[in-house]
Amino acid sequence: MTAGRLLREARLRAGLSQGELGKRVGRPRTQIARWEQDAVDPGFGTLRELLRACGFDLHSELVPYEPPQDARLEKNVLLAPERRVGRMLRAVGRRTPTRG
Amino acid sequence: MAERPRFDPYELLGALERRRVAYILIGGFARVIQGTEELTLGIDIVPSMRDENVRRLAQALDDLGAERADGNGLDVSVPSLGEETVLALRTDRGELKVVPKPVGTRGYDDLRWHATGEHIGKGLRPRVASVDDLARMVAALGREQDIPKLLQLRHIAEFELSRGIEL
Repeated sequence: MTAGRLLREARLRAGLSQGELGKRVGRPRTQIARWEQDAVDPGFGTLRELLRACGFDLHSELVPYEPPQDARLEKNVLLAPERRVGRMLRAVGRRTPTRG
Repeated sequence: MAERPRFDPYELLGALERRRVAYILIGGFARVIQGTEELTLGIDIVPSMRDENVRRLAQALDDLGAERADGNGLDVSVPSLGEETVLALRTDRGELKVVPKPVGTRGYDDLRWHATGEHIGKGLRPRVASVDDLARMVAALGREQDIPKLLQLRHIAEFELSRGIEL
């Protein structure tokens, strides 16, 4: 998760346009766009300010770093969408799906 | 107990394509297309709410013999869909949910910007919500049971980013 993705998710969940968020924090819309595209890193303090303007907060705590280990998921991502669907449909025949 | 119909996403999506319905695929089936590992027995769509498109959707649902899962009469029109959070339908080819405005989004016109056409076989190339938008919807639901799905989506986003692919 990058700062830009987190910011975009918060803004959209708040139902704000980039311009509306810009007005709330006194920044131009173009700056909001650059942050969301990860073209510029807003920095921790600014990111927190932006998220709060969207009605969210950044809950931060130190946790042990665990590098991504889900090799199976990464292998799946490398498959073509058609094969991912085929695998899922074959699995549906063998297991009970979860809802949602 | 009635036998559960065999889930055939190709038939469901084919019916929508034949009627040229404009929609974005979301939910579990969309997440599978984007790379998550989970199982689903239906598809979820966000249709364009323009009058003509809703008429086409009504025709496609009629072709599929769709019925409301709650047993009430099915009325597919712009006003009736506007009142639905989720229109859950049963068809002979599996479950189909019509979600005019998924939680955390502003509907079709919001999702279509980052949606991509994905080849899923049998000549079908539905428009699928982006990984980021799928994560946004899961997160907005705020359900504990969805956390593994959210973690998978975020892992995929990071993995694709590391490969230099912008989602």
